[in-house]
Amino acid sequence: MIRPISWRSGWIAGLACLFAALAVNRPPLAQEAGLLEKRESLYNNIFVFGDKELVTMTFGQNKRYYTESSMRLSDPGALSVGYTRYMTLGVAYPAKLERMLEIGLGGGRTVSYLNAALPDTAILAVELDKDVVELAKKYFRFTESAKLRTLVSDGRSFLLRDNDRWDVIMIDAYRGPFVPFHLLTKEFYTLVKSRLAPGGVVVQNIEPSTMLFDSATATLASVFPSVDLYGAEGNVVAIAYEGPSLRQADLLARATAAQERYKLRYDLRTMVAVRRVLGRPTGKVMSDDFAPVETMRAIEQHNEKWKEQTEAPR
Amino acid sequence: MSPSLLRGLLLFVIAVVLGFALMGFEMLASRYLNPYFGGTINTWAALIATVLVALMAGYLLGGALVDRTMSPRLCGVLLVVAGVYLFSIPLWVDPLFGWILVRMGDGVVGTLLAATALLLLPLTLMSVFTPFAVRLLLTSVNVGGRIVSYVYGVSTVGNVLGTLVTTFTLVPSFGSRALTMAFAVVTAACGVIMVGCGRFLRGDAK
Repeated sequence: MIRPISWRSGWIAGLACLFAALAVNRPPLAQEAGLLEKRESLYNNIFVFGDKELVTMTFGQNKRYYTESSMRLSDPGALSVGYTRYMTLGVAYPAKLERMLEIGLGGGRTVSYLNAALPDTAILAVELDKDVVELAKKYFRFTESAKLRTLVSDGRSFLLRDNDRWDVIMIDAYRGPFVPFHLLTKEFYTLVKSRLAPGGVVVQNIEPSTMLFDSATATLASVFPSVDLYGAEGNVVAIAYEGPSLRQADLLARATAAQERYKLRYDLRTMVAVRRVLGRPTGKVMSDDFAPVETMRAIEQHNEKWKEQTEAPR
Repeated sequence: MSPSLLRGLLLFVIAVVLGFALMGFEMLASRYLNPYFGGTINTWAALIATVLVALMAGYLLGGALVDRTMSPRLCGVLLVVAGVYLFSIPLWVDPLFGWILVRMGDGVVGTLLAATALLLLPLTLMSVFTPFAVRLLLTSVNVGGRIVSYVYGVSTVGNVLGTLVTTFTLVPSFGSRALTMAFAVVTAACGVIMVGCGRFLRGDAK
């Protein structure tokens, strides 16, 4: 005999269903397929998506996902996000490559690639979010070693406290769509410059679709006499250094030497060929005192407009 | 306009202006803290907790002082001191925060200490004003509830305006140092008015 469910137990069951439904915190349906893990860290909402071919780490913000890192499972050594190949161009500039610093780890693909190709170079990745480091290890085959270490800290406060000098400092610190303002000011770049070894370079990934780009490059140029820009599949990679702008032939010679020595998969010589030199910065220099990043990134501009500020290298 | 109405109006104007400056400066404080301690929820927690401690201390201090002295001039002097402190911040904030970061790191201790150095004294002195305003306006216990609600309501209007206008209009248009000095001048000016109009503000309050 089937007993009818009593009013009371039905009510409790209903409530239990409601709580169960609330407990499952769903991302929007369109992207739900392939979600491997969602983590609400102290700083980010991190979503790792994956299928048989590709694993992607994204930060969710304003109902959108911003790709921080991705890896092809059949070819984990590839740099599948286009601009990250250009982040490795810092290798072509300095005379020596003993120590490299990266601010902003993501999935750790770029530093893993460099670590594999440059086994004698000590690489330190400073990452704000310890959950990002854990997820990089869990899903992106990131492993630490004596020559590839991570440190959990804000990038700027790390540089303030640490007095080491670096041959290359790579900055790729995005929180979702944006770089925090304190990593875009004149005072920050002055600090970065003071932590570069002689001949060292800073490499930064800058998103060119808003007015903030103009200010970021102008600010870099206010601290570093030479700024090179590389258009890289929608992003721009800026490389800034002390001293006069390198002649293209000299840079190509350095890139050739580095390429022959390290046998990099993404040829430095090819990438050097798309170099543009920042000649006429048009943006307003940002300082700790005045950095209206929220206003500037609200003003969109055409993606290729950044080239107007540059000239061909000599 | 009767003197008591004018007195009420003057105190409410000061309440709005101080409420504006107080929350405006809290928003600015994030711009001072972020370069050293990061722009994260941790920094905001230290900032907000420090502001609330300052409000608590200011209310307690103000209540004790006004019952003993009934002196608007004393409150005015404290506001001038708050203004001078605020005005001096751009001179020492960077070396001090650099020192705190190197000595104590960017964890909860360093961030709270930095927020305390920046905010505790001036915001405590600014919030001393609230109990002073209540007591000076309180002519009869029959209207006590309304007096308290008006003073808090009006100063909260100032808080809301200070938060929004500072964030969406002032910070994108001016530097944080210049804005800090402007808030300092406004705060000190409120203090000068209270010193200057001490006798009038005290009025027939019993």
